[in-house]
Amino acid sequence: MSVAERETARRSPLAAPRSMFLLWFNIALTFVVAAIGFGMGFAQGLAAQLVILYTIVSAAVFLWFANAVTVVFEDRLAAPETHADEESAARQPSWWRRNWVMLLAMAVLLVLYLVVTATVEAFRQLEYLITFVILELILLFAFKVSVHFPRTRSAFIGLMILAALLVISAFTIDGFLSAPSIRALLLFAAFLGIASVGQTMVALLGGLDLSIPFVIGAANIGLLFLISLGVPPWVATGFVLLLGALLGLINGLLSYRLQAQALIITLGTGFALAGLVQILTSIGSEQAGNVMGTVPGWLRNLAAMNGTTFGLAVPPAIIIWIVLSVLIILFMRYTAYGRYIYALGGNRESARLLGISELKYWTLAYIVSGFFSAVTGCLLLGWSGGGFIDVGENYLFMTLAAVVIGGTSLAGGQGGYGFTVIGVLVLQLLSTFLIGIGLNYEWQQFIFGLLILPMVALYSRAPPIRSQV
Amino acid sequence: MGQNSGAEKTYLLVPILLIAVLTSTAVIRSPSLVTLPGLGSAIIVAAPIILATYALMATTIAGRGTIDLAVGPLLAFINVTIVRLNGLDIVTDPIPVFLLALGIGVLYQILFALVIIVVRVQPIIVALSGYLALSGINLVILRRPGGTAPTWMSDWGAGETIFSPVLLIVLLATGGWLLFTATTFYSNLRMMGYDERAAYTSGVRIYLARLGAHVISGLFVGLAAICYTALISSGNPNAGGQITLTAVTALVLGGVALSGGRGSVTGALLGAVTLFLIGYVLSTFQFGAIQSFVTDLAYGTILVSSLLLTLLVPIVARHISFVSPYAAFIVLATVVGGIILHVATYDSFVVAPSVAQALGDPVANKALAVPDDNLVQRYFVLPEVASGGTGGIGPVALSLTPLQQIAFATAAILVLVVFTARMFVVEAVTPRLSLFLYIFIGALIVLTFVTLAQSGPGAAAAAAGEIP
Repeated sequence: MSVAERETARRSPLAAPRSMFLLWFNIALTFVVAAIGFGMGFAQGLAAQLVILYTIVSAAVFLWFANAVTVVFEDRLAAPETHADEESAARQPSWWRRNWVMLLAMAVLLVLYLVVTATVEAFRQLEYLITFVILELILLFAFKVSVHFPRTRSAFIGLMILAALLVISAFTIDGFLSAPSIRALLLFAAFLGIASVGQTMVALLGGLDLSIPFVIGAANIGLLFLISLGVPPWVATGFVLLLGALLGLINGLLSYRLQAQALIITLGTGFALAGLVQILTSIGSEQAGNVMGTVPGWLRNLAAMNGTTFGLAVPPAIIIWIVLSVLIILFMRYTAYGRYIYALGGNRESARLLGISELKYWTLAYIVSGFFSAVTGCLLLGWSGGGFIDVGENYLFMTLAAVVIGGTSLAGGQGGYGFTVIGVLVLQLLSTFLIGIGLNYEWQQFIFGLLILPMVALYSRAPPIRSQV
Repeated sequence: MGQNSGAEKTYLLVPILLIAVLTSTAVIRSPSLVTLPGLGSAIIVAAPIILATYALMATTIAGRGTIDLAVGPLLAFINVTIVRLNGLDIVTDPIPVFLLALGIGVLYQILFALVIIVVRVQPIIVALSGYLALSGINLVILRRPGGTAPTWMSDWGAGETIFSPVLLIVLLATGGWLLFTATTFYSNLRMMGYDERAAYTSGVRIYLARLGAHVISGLFVGLAAICYTALISSGNPNAGGQITLTAVTALVLGGVALSGGRGSVTGALLGAVTLFLIGYVLSTFQFGAIQSFVTDLAYGTILVSSLLLTLLVPIVARHISFVSPYAAFIVLATVVGGIILHVATYDSFVVAPSVAQALGDPVANKALAVPDDNLVQRYFVLPEVASGGTGGIGPVALSLTPLQQIAFATAAILVLVVFTARMFVVEAVTPRLSLFLYIFIGALIVLTFVTLAQSGPGAAAAAAGEIP
């Protein structure tokens, strides 16, 4: 009974703590944080409107977060200790064995910091000390506090990393918190986020879609090719999006019977599509692979850095992404379609017994994936202004990394688009940070590659074979 | 056992049929393939694909969906490391280079295995992570394609002769794998790939088996990287993606189950050769600027359709379980061998359409050969024709009356058909090739080489002149 209550309490997105004292405490804390931010904003010399806007937004987010954390702890304290808990507590290993990974990681970080500080002169600054302390705190949080959020553990860790990255970047990179920098960050996050919609859906069903970068590239040059042929841009865009969905349909149908190999199938269809589109667009042109043409103004405005939405200096792509995120999160949570996807990802057999058609939802997820990849391709055309097949190349692993870092299990059934949004923001922020400290694209790729592993290891480890027998 | 082995081998039918068709197309479109330099360079081009496919197979068999997508970037990593260290004059001699290549491959794969065993993350995630990290670091090591391979390697890639060190590496690798399949370790590995829990409960030390599979994979990647370096005699940090795609496609085409447990070196070899031939045939069509797009399209389509074929194969296998892929291989090899001989010994390359059609069918081929004096010369007395004369002719064939000729031909065809049918049925239920077939294949290969050697530079020059 108490478990069910706890579940409902945690499900509610706008939970407030039952104790009035804690609620007021949170509000007070929020005010303190907001005041600090307010002062810092004016100290940096930003426009007053911007400072007010940022303060309100950050205060709202902070309050929500603090309340959510409090609710969880309240429930935990209110719930009576059950018999099973005591028994497992008696069998728990020693303190050292429970914490050795964390202690080891913290020790390694400490040694690393000391060695670097001892050897590199430029490193002996307050900023780096703060950075170091924040990293240690993240480790502590990730290992100790996040245990109390079994379901949203990855999101919790993601948010911690996000906050830490923000602080570290603000300290180390000049002009990081300026409006153009944040706009660029959100714009690229929007591209990645829209491209990751489908990957999230597919991952929730336990599949993977590696055709995304190829669809993005193909949509990119295909749209420009159609426009340069004289097709009205609206029609051309609709056609390209339809084709993206069609490839998704093909992917879904082909991989349905070979779900374990969905990865390889989509890789194959992706390569075939990219080749086909390039052949089609190269026929009759001198330079194969390059498409020339002019991008219509509305498309350019949609995704360009200096685009405006109803007069606001925010590219519409960002707004589209935010609206889309909210819609998808609500959709996955409250509609039958969304719930059925979770049901199928969780357990195929029970879902089948409930009369949920696996083929239908599997295919639909891939159609969504193809469609949104094509959307990303079109948006990227507006951003760059020229067609280029390899424009989607980064998205091959970035979408996957966003999904994984956000915490959607690749085995299916756990996670959601909200997590992916966190993952996208973490990746984009990290990318900005790495560029800011002077590392180029190759190093980023290397670091992202190494980063995926510990993130996945934190929350989706398989049980050892001993316990599977 | 009979049913099982038959069904398992049915997967080989697809690459075998494809190889036969592709080889014929390749030889007819570009006869220079069957000259000594042509074959030599073909082996050198195909070697990295073959070895990379072996490397991929070793881990794939271990199960849990361990498709090591990082095999391409790892290969490129070793390649650029060799080139970079050679450029800095640190590692230049053959033995250190070999040790370096194999060492990097094995080290990386051990790390991979340890992550899977200790951290227990899905292997595909580890592979993707490795792909990303290695692709990035490759570009850091070598920003753009370039550099030079060690000097002792440069004449490996020349492809003047068939018997290059690259061929030796491929043969040793294949032989090593065949020896490896005879060990208990291999059966344990396959069992683990098929059902890890069953293997664990029956006492297989699964962690050791997994580690071993990765070590073997690392060795093969190292060899593949050496062959690749010899092939391009420079460094290419961007080679990874294409090699991974090719190797995975070859693996699937060769009937290796991506879920683990099923796979054979024959299949992987045939798959890799098929992929090489596809690339070769496509390159003979000369699409110009869109060549690479056509290749992408073809590889992608083949990858998908061969995966779909694996669904179909069990159904087909039920109906044609009496057909042995190896027997089909022998028959098709004979046909293709005929085509190769025909092309290789054709002084000036002009194929009449009727002849080309007739060549598709061994029976028609023989029937055509009997009345035609010229063809008899060509097929039974090769050296004389090739050396350019009208020369000595087998007297037996000519001293027969037409009736006798027809009678003998019919008898020969009957014997052949009966023999083939018998072989099909017998071979279908044996798990391996019989000794006779090994000898037969060996003889075919030797005959091809002897012919090529005999037809010599004249034919090669003529054939090379044909391809502008």
